[in-house]
Amino acid sequence: MTDAWGPVWLSLKLAGLTTVILLAIALPLAWWLARSRSPLRPFVEAVTALPLVMPPTVLGFYLLVLMNPDSPLGRAFVTITGETLAFSFPGLVFASVIYSFPFAVQPLQTAFQSVGRGVMEAASTLGASRLDAFRTVALPLSGRGLLTAAVLTFAHTLGEFGVVLMVGGNIPGQTRVISIEVYSAVETLDYARAHQLSAGLLAFSFVTLVVVYMLNRRGGVHVGG
Amino acid sequence: MSAAEVLSFDLRLELPGFTLQGAAEIPLRGITVISGSSGSGKTTLLRALAGLEPAARGHVRFGRQDWTHLPPEKRQVGFVFQDGRLFRHMSVERNIRYGARRRATPESELREVIRALDLEGMLARRPASLSGGEARRVALARALASRPRVLFLDEPMVGLDPERRGEVLPYITRAADEFGLAVLYVSHSQFEKGLLADRELPVAGGRIGAMRDGPARLELPVAEAGGGQVVFRVGGERLALPGEGEVGQLWELRPGHGSILAGAHPGATTAAAVLPVVAAGRDEAPRRVRVRIEGQEFSVPGERDYAPGEKLWLICPRLRGRWRGGWARQEKQRAK
Repeated sequence: MTDAWGPVWLSLKLAGLTTVILLAIALPLAWWLARSRSPLRPFVEAVTALPLVMPPTVLGFYLLVLMNPDSPLGRAFVTITGETLAFSFPGLVFASVIYSFPFAVQPLQTAFQSVGRGVMEAASTLGASRLDAFRTVALPLSGRGLLTAAVLTFAHTLGEFGVVLMVGGNIPGQTRVISIEVYSAVETLDYARAHQLSAGLLAFSFVTLVVVYMLNRRGGVHVGG
Repeated sequence: MSAAEVLSFDLRLELPGFTLQGAAEIPLRGITVISGSSGSGKTTLLRALAGLEPAARGHVRFGRQDWTHLPPEKRQVGFVFQDGRLFRHMSVERNIRYGARRRATPESELREVIRALDLEGMLARRPASLSGGEARRVALARALASRPRVLFLDEPMVGLDPERRGEVLPYITRAADEFGLAVLYVSHSQFEKGLLADRELPVAGGRIGAMRDGPARLELPVAEAGGGQVVFRVGGERLALPGEGEVGQLWELRPGHGSILAGAHPGATTAAAVLPVVAAGRDEAPRRVRVRIEGQEFSVPGERDYAPGEKLWLICPRLRGRWRGGWARQEKQRAK
């Protein structure tokens, strides 16, 4: 039974960890994107959106090159942990963070844009520092955007396949997540197993999207309303 | 005037298609109205003084403190924005407490603000459920509760119907009087200027003009009170205004716009008041003369030179009186 649930558990762990890490990165970045008038902004926005349009194989290939023990990042990881980054769970988390990036950043950016400068200025005249105003005004007003970002990141990470196959391979307990397990099951003609996992993932994804759309409807046109 | 008592600035701010430039020294007492037509730069000036326009160059000093590089949260300006900017995710009470908590306002002071603005009944409500006038009062309370050193009001009456204006105006004068705060009041309304201004700083096309004294005013003690009116004695004349007051209270009377200086009493008139005054010489401003009444001197419109000491009559089509945020207006009556 443990074996049967292994990929599910691994997928949940990967998605959960990715969501937490990604939100920590996406919050300040989305805030900057929503407020900045810097000429660099379009370039940063483009880089952020790249994973949306690139084939997972291309993304996976570059990530693999980046995680190679001969590359600076790969070597640093080996020096610190004694293990290679490619074909390991930490490597998978790293790849997922890159792959799901736009799903965390874009809903947050939209939500932060709808907060507006006005209330932030009001907060500053009332004695709130920028961080204080962000925490007590911008973030609560963007609650729905934050939830949307978290749910989409989680669901998207759960469903990824191409990048995982490229950088993670198919190692039980390490990198064999649900989507890979489905692929293996089909390869070995174990259709019952493939059905079981696919139906589970389908149902989960559907429910997730319904929840996101319901949240957006309640908030009107603004994701972060 | 010592440096401790003025807000002084010399600013230049270039925005796309607009430049604001000028300097002034604003005394930190009473109400200074920043006047000018829409788009003249009044609001931008107020924002620059509050530290909300980072592109502003020059300097700002508040008394002895240099504000030039001070971020807005450290300036302790109570800013009431034209559009309210209440926090919609908080109740009225949490809105009011937002600044109070950050500036450690004592609870008693906070209660005093809530009482002065009659907000006890709406503390639990959300901003979305407030009427326009109520929202302005909450915004004013939120600013007052943050222990401001000066109050900035950006057209706080815009978008309110005359009835709501009458509802909010007394709270503003009360804020200035009861909390002893200097107020910078942005407005393009002649009515508000006539009612509130102790002095006026005109702004036109981004240029900050020279400070002017506000409309003439007289301070008089109430001689008789009761029956819904207060009575003053002015140069032997008896002058009554509708309002509630007590004998001995010091009221401020404003003749308002359109007063006329005449050499003889007009006799029967529809004017609100005809005040006996004494000419006291030419005013610096063109087409104005200085007159004295009850030992107080002020300037009024006048077309010709009068010999100092000449007895004249000031015919006031309107006369307003106020005590502590309560305004009484008399349009057509004159007590015999």
